Amino acid sequence: MPERVVEVVPEEGLHARPASLFVETANEYDAEVSVGPEGAADDDLVSASSMLAVTGLGVAGGEKLRIVAEGADAVAALDALEELLSTPEDEL
Amino acid sequence: MSERRLSGVDVTPLTGVGTAVWYRPDADLPERPAPAEVDGEAELAAFEDARDEAEAELDAERERTAERVGEDEAAVFDAHVQFLTDPQIADGVAERIDDGLPAAHAVAETFDEFVERFAAMDGKMAERADDLRDVRDRLLRLLTDGERVDLSALPDGSVVLAERLTPSDTAQLDPERVAGFATVTGGRTSHAAIFARSLAIPAVVGVGDALTSVADGETVVIDGTTGEVVVDPSDDTVAAASEGTEARVREERVETADGREIEVAANVGTPAELGPAADRGADGIGLFRTEFLFLDRDDAPDEAEQYETYKRAIETFPEGRVVVRTLDVGGDKPVPYLDLPDEENPFLGERGIRRSLGPDADLFETQLRALLRADADTDVGSLAVMLPLVTTVEEIAAAETVLDRVVEDLRSEGIEAERPEFGVMIETPAAAFMADEFVSHVDFFSIGTNDLAQYVMAAERGNDAVADLGDFRQPAVLRAIDATTTAAEGTDVWVGMCGEMAGDPALTELLVGLGLTELSMSAVTVPAVKERVSEIDTAAATALAERALAAASRDEVIDLLP
Repeated sequence: MPERVVEVVPEEGLHARPASLFVETANEYDAEVSVGPEGAADDDLVSASSMLAVTGLGVAGGEKLRIVAEGADAVAALDALEELLSTPEDEL
Repeated sequence: MSERRLSGVDVTPLTGVGTAVWYRPDADLPERPAPAEVDGEAELAAFEDARDEAEAELDAERERTAERVGEDEAAVFDAHVQFLTDPQIADGVAERIDDGLPAAHAVAETFDEFVERFAAMDGKMAERADDLRDVRDRLLRLLTDGERVDLSALPDGSVVLAERLTPSDTAQLDPERVAGFATVTGGRTSHAAIFARSLAIPAVVGVGDALTSVADGETVVIDGTTGEVVVDPSDDTVAAASEGTEARVREERVETADGREIEVAANVGTPAELGPAADRGADGIGLFRTEFLFLDRDDAPDEAEQYETYKRAIETFPEGRVVVRTLDVGGDKPVPYLDLPDEENPFLGERGIRRSLGPDADLFETQLRALLRADADTDVGSLAVMLPLVTTVEEIAAAETVLDRVVEDLRSEGIEAERPEFGVMIETPAAAFMADEFVSHVDFFSIGTNDLAQYVMAAERGNDAVADLGDFRQPAVLRAIDATTTAAEGTDVWVGMCGEMAGDPALTELLVGLGLTELSMSAVTVPAVKERVSEIDTAAATALAERALAAASRDEVIDLLP
């Protein structure tokens, strides 16, 4: 399964607008995307299509995330999410 | 029975009279029926219908808020839609319905579980708990329809009372029908307060539990100027309140009753605000913030782009003056193309004039060139250039050198540039103390009371816990203002004020008495301040200022004010 570790650039972390865009982007792909803090075990990952789950991770700016995707467009989904997380909030 | 006065935090300088209507979105749900009486399929369908309807409402409110208030405030509704349609919510509700709960109870329980989880976390996460409560209440209103007050269909002249009002609640309020609102909780920077200001609704927030003593149907006055809720008001109070709502727009300049001219200008932060400022009768712009040109973009605006904007501003006030503040950014505002330092305390760091004379020197020069060219190419109006966050004579002298060089450069290029009026903001204790040294270098001072109060009192703006300290009615703030006007006395330097304090009609007499000759404020309060100016007698105002300057406490100052 393709996966990646990405640093969360938006200062606010994965809250409010960045979280909202993250969930929106994850939902655009057929791949099942799950996410958790860097080093999280598979069982501790949560669904990237749930705003509640994503916000509930309480990820701050500068922290790293582990993102796993499964499905035909998994790599494309990871690319899009990585780009999003690498963009400072004021440019989102 | 005599009237009762409850005090809270004033939010808009507007007054309204109406009939109290309590809005209680979290009212108790009906008794839970026995599981056997619950038709699971019907309840699930009811939930799904309510969810669709809630989503449609949110989309509509998002549009309306983007139009009326702005994109930033509207973005909160996107998060609401995502919570609403979250798979964890859908699953939780479906499971509980399956266990025999009606839809409303299933929604309440599911959301409350997440609300608790989020509320237990820090800072930003706790704000998400508010968002979740907001979405929950919306669903519950739709599921238990008719049992709650519908904010979008209130009778004319309602005064809404509530524990708190969420962005969704305020977005539904129709300013044409609502005479005002008051809430138990909330501060000057709460969502409700921001909405009230942008929609010009009289409002008082943070009244505390005393507000619950007001019953549905009682007549109340919301006095947004004093921050009071007057219950069961006397005829005189009602008459005064009704008058207060009707300040007429005066295009002409105003003077005090004894003939001292006071310039009443508007603060403007975007070109879109220029037209409304002129429509509200502003004599000019007392503070043209230029940050909008520089924020939310990848490169600095070039001279030509800035030129067009400044030209338009000057032309909007052909008879007036436009005071442009040079770029005022620091570590608290992200500007991607500037190398802004990561500072422990950006409000005491490299910002304002400090950057313009340091790392942003090129930007400063370009801005001055654009300003002077715009001024040279307009036959009408007049330009004044104002420096932010000045603390020393050296800063003024250094900026003056740049200004003079720009004038010469432009002339050598064949442009008939003239030296504009040149002044500084007085927004630090240092500037107030040194004003008597500054006078020989400038044409004017403009007192920025929001920052001045914050820096004089060491009390952060927007922090409710220290709101009383950061109040510009603190005697220390008045004395800093007095130091500034006294320094300018007997010189050609005029002293104005931009900032919230200038827009409060209850303070106009005091400010005139302190010696200010220009007041600049949000366009919404221009008519009320113009009206107030025309009633003032300068001798009485001076006497009031003397008493206020002798006051030992904020309470003593407040007692002196109308």
